Amino acid sequence: MLYEKHCSNCHQQDGQGLRRLYPPLAKSDFLKNNFNPFICTMKYGTSGSIVVNGVEFNKLMPGVPSLTELELAELATYITNSWGEQGGIVTIEQVSQALSGCAPQ
Amino acid sequence: MAFYRPAIICICAVGILMAAGCAQKRQLPIYGSHTFNGKDTVYHTIAPFQFTDQDGAAVTNATFKDKIYVTDFFFTSCRTICPIMKTQMLRVYEATKNMPDVLILSHTIDPEYDTVALLHDYANRLGVESARWHFVTGVRDSIYKIAQTSYFTAALQDKTEPDGFIHSGAFMLIDKKSRIRGKYDGTKKEDVNRLIGDIKILRQE
Ligand code: HEC
Repeated sequence: MLYEKHCSNCHQQDGQGLRRLYPPLAKSDFLKNNFNPFICTMKYGTSGSIVVNGVEFNKLMPGVPSLTELELAELATYITNSWGEQGGIVTIEQVSQALSGCAPQ
Repeated sequence: MAFYRPAIICICAVGILMAAGCAQKRQLPIYGSHTFNGKDTVYHTIAPFQFTDQDGAAVTNATFKDKIYVTDFFFTSCRTICPIMKTQMLRVYEATKNMPDVLILSHTIDPEYDTVALLHDYANRLGVESARWHFVTGVRDSIYKIAQTSYFTAALQDKTEPDGFIHSGAFMLIDKKSRIRGKYDGTKKEDVNRLIGDIKILRQE
């Protein structure tokens, strides 16, 4: 499973993250409000101070540049439909569109 | 009444066997070479070391005098097994909360990147006390050497590896005499449960 392979080490199986080190993906307001950056984050990583559900995080997240658009769509669909969420299917078109807004850092 | 006698004898026999079994407490092995100096058996112990922890304080063998400790090798920017190891070590930390004689020592194997300030931030974000869980950095070769020759575990820089390092996910259990008493897979919950059980056995010694 893509999530287990690339994400759950840090964000945990249950999407709760780890203390103030790794932010939660489950019910993350940050993720909901930043859909396009979320797609970019998976592929290119991110860093700097962010606030997720009222808690500050600031660590480097390495991206996985080898992820294809199909894989990114699968991952995004999995994450937005797990842990009690129902975000619907994320399409490859949505992923392409999001990616066009970010460049490898 | 003669009819009941064998049954009574049988129950007694079982009772004696059980008592004998309980009296024989489980002992943890002592790892490494054993030599005999003519008087006593000399066991493998952890060599002298000096590293610096997340508060900038010196951490040496003296820090662990009369303490049991659990130790591992990791680095903060690692994305493979280290986050899992830290999730599991946090369970050890919580399980030993009320044991003042049990400490944790995590060595970074990427001391150039993992400075005191970075380790401080890391420990802080993990929400752990430096008095109970030391995250140490130091001279790279000293860290690699102690990993290999004292703790019998792998730690090496290797640019061809996905994270740039070869390292093992092992947790080692060290007793109050600086001897290795257990080795566990720090990425597996069941093995870490075994470690938590072994700490309790070791405290009885
Ligand atoms: C090495 C650990 C690590 C891995 C692996 C990892 N992340 Fe992250 N992730 C982080 C950290 C640390 C942050 C916070 C970054 C910051 O401080 O700016 C973060 C932030 C995020 C955020 C924005 C904050 C939030 O919680 O909503 C999202 C979304 C996210 N990661 C998704 C993923 C996905 C999806 C994967 C798998 C493709 C993944 N991450 C893999 C460590 C990791």
